[in-house]
Amino acid sequence: MWFMQTWIEELLLENKMNERAFDNSHYNGDTAFRVRIRRFGALVGRLCANPTTVIGLIIIGLMMAMAIFAPWITEANVPDPYQMPRDWGAVRKPPGTPGFLLGTTNEGGDVFYGVVWGSRTSLQLSLYVVGSTMIIGTIIGSLAGLLGGWVDEFLMRLVDVFLSIPELIFALAIAAVLGPSFTNIIIALSMVIWVKYARIMRAQVLQVKQNEYVEAAKVIGDTKLNIYLKDILPNAVTPVTVQATLDMGNVVLIGATLSFIGLSEAGIAEWGVLVSEGQAGIASGRWWASTFPGMMIFLWALAFNLVGDGLRDALDPRTEGR
Amino acid sequence: MMLDTSNQKKFVAKVDDLKVYFNSKRGTVHAVDGISFDVYKGETLGLVGETGCGKSVTGRSFLQLLPIPPGVLVGGSIIYNQQNNSSQRFETGSKPGFPNSRNFEFKKVDLLTLTGEEIRKIRGDSIAMIFQDPGKSLNPTLTIGAQLSEVFLQHRTEEILEMAGLGSEASGAIRRFASQRNRIFDKWLVNLSGNRSTKSRVEKAVADLVAKALSDTQVPNPVKLMDRYPHELSGGMKQRVMIAQALACNPDILIADEPTTALDVTVEARILDLIQELQQRRQTSVVYISHDLSLVRRICDRVAVMYAGRIVEIGTNNEIFKNPRHPYTIGLMKALPSADTARGELLAIPGNVPELINPPQMCRFFSRCAFATDKCKNQDPELEKVTNSHSVACFADVAEISGK
Repeated sequence: MWFMQTWIEELLLENKMNERAFDNSHYNGDTAFRVRIRRFGALVGRLCANPTTVIGLIIIGLMMAMAIFAPWITEANVPDPYQMPRDWGAVRKPPGTPGFLLGTTNEGGDVFYGVVWGSRTSLQLSLYVVGSTMIIGTIIGSLAGLLGGWVDEFLMRLVDVFLSIPELIFALAIAAVLGPSFTNIIIALSMVIWVKYARIMRAQVLQVKQNEYVEAAKVIGDTKLNIYLKDILPNAVTPVTVQATLDMGNVVLIGATLSFIGLSEAGIAEWGVLVSEGQAGIASGRWWASTFPGMMIFLWALAFNLVGDGLRDALDPRTEGR
Repeated sequence: MMLDTSNQKKFVAKVDDLKVYFNSKRGTVHAVDGISFDVYKGETLGLVGETGCGKSVTGRSFLQLLPIPPGVLVGGSIIYNQQNNSSQRFETGSKPGFPNSRNFEFKKVDLLTLTGEEIRKIRGDSIAMIFQDPGKSLNPTLTIGAQLSEVFLQHRTEEILEMAGLGSEASGAIRRFASQRNRIFDKWLVNLSGNRSTKSRVEKAVADLVAKALSDTQVPNPVKLMDRYPHELSGGMKQRVMIAQALACNPDILIADEPTTALDVTVEARILDLIQELQQRRQTSVVYISHDLSLVRRICDRVAVMYAGRIVEIGTNNEIFKNPRHPYTIGLMKALPSADTARGELLAIPGNVPELINPPQMCRFFSRCAFATDKCKNQDPELEKVTNSHSVACFADVAEISGK
């Protein structure tokens, strides 16, 4: 027995020594990760200190849940779930009719189905548009800010040209040229919105690259790409993320407008299309077909604007630590 | 370029007739107008002068850090006499660990004519720089450890691989991972190829180097400090981190651009002690840019006094402070408050610094000089030797002035 005891003791001792060696010499990346988590937690804390932001977050959460669980909330339409189911036997039913919780449209479309699956189309629209424009705008804005000279001049004049035309009219024109389809709405909106990010990013890069830590990175012989990726980009993206949050709401608003005019496929489960389908009935008292999707558009835009504002305040270094 | 054999010391850098002008709407500003001086091995050279006299521009031109579109490099050269330098050492193929191997060739290069890639290899490795405000010199989004590791990844790849036990047979991705190029991509690549242990060994090697660099600057608990963000540190700590970064690769020259101006006096004293201690241990030459005469007197071996883009007097500490020859230096000494002068007797030099836009060919101190003659009005004095180490740019009779 005794030898086993010493053996275990030795093992434990060795283990302990290893541990100590590890503690003293090893730079534990985990702690840096923990610090990052802690800072993120602090950001969420500041975000949640603002009641309007919390309301926005709750609405967004509900909308997301609706989009994710759409097939479980209402049964998906068989060939294409993004197409509204048509029941020609049940047109102009008021809300509360069994089987049609929010009533039906003139063409027998289920409003509830449109509202639920419309959240999916809206989420897709905003994610595609905001995602692509954020990347394009960030790259172009960074190029303009970093290179300066004629590159900057050329890119910014291009941006000016884009900005001089009102957002909605421009998107309308592009979508009309491309032809009516939901994909074309995404393309049209992306072409219009990237300029905003390019502008913000350029201004940020111009400001951040003046910082002494960029010079300090140069002094230790860092490459230009590294200086951009490590020192300039992380310190410049904050306003871009805030703008992206705000745009998540605005994009759906403009997208719904384009759909309303009839620039997406007819009969698609989209809030704008549904509003347009129901608008003829408002005068004759059939308010439900356009009111419910309209309310969804309103709530969606409101929620993202509330969160965007909250995020701007929370990320503002002047409010940090308050 | 011949070595000055009369002077037994080795020069590390030789600034020769450096001229940096800035184009402005009102004309060409002659910020630095033909200055020459040597920096010897292991010494501290103080560069003093008032605001706008060109001392920072001089310091920056060592590393090609001048904003070139408004600035123009009109002429001159900065010959850098490359000393033992490990990245060079590895390239020549000699074994590491023999920094002063006999077959190592000292290389002389003109810092002003190097290409971007060449100067990048010198920056942080052979010549380092510390800035005025440590609070602004650290990236707020990176931890101290991450920021300090950059200098090693940039210049000490071979050493890192050696420490990680990989040596020269390391694969391309790992080599790149230890050299900072496209690091995010390579991190992913190394992870993907299942080389997690290799990756962590490289990371550990880098962390060891960083911890060593930090502990050299006497920070308490360097390992813990590596996980901190800059905003969690005090000004003195930040400057220590900057010094650790600057001296990480044992540079030959450290350019300190008023490194203690933003710090309070007690911290300043400690930082100065630290710089001096590290400098003596590593035989680094320091170019100390400052406008604080008492500070320069305390730490510098030699002092160059600058006025309006020119060096008016250069000499050893004693020569400048005990036996100043140039009227401007004399004026500066008189303006220094000391314990034995009575209250309210601070003597200022009358007048202002002349505008540096298209200056005429005359002594720049002419308008403020008590010893000015007609000759000063028509000719610009050149630096002339008084003793072997002491030079003055003044026409006036030296004996007359020193008698004053």
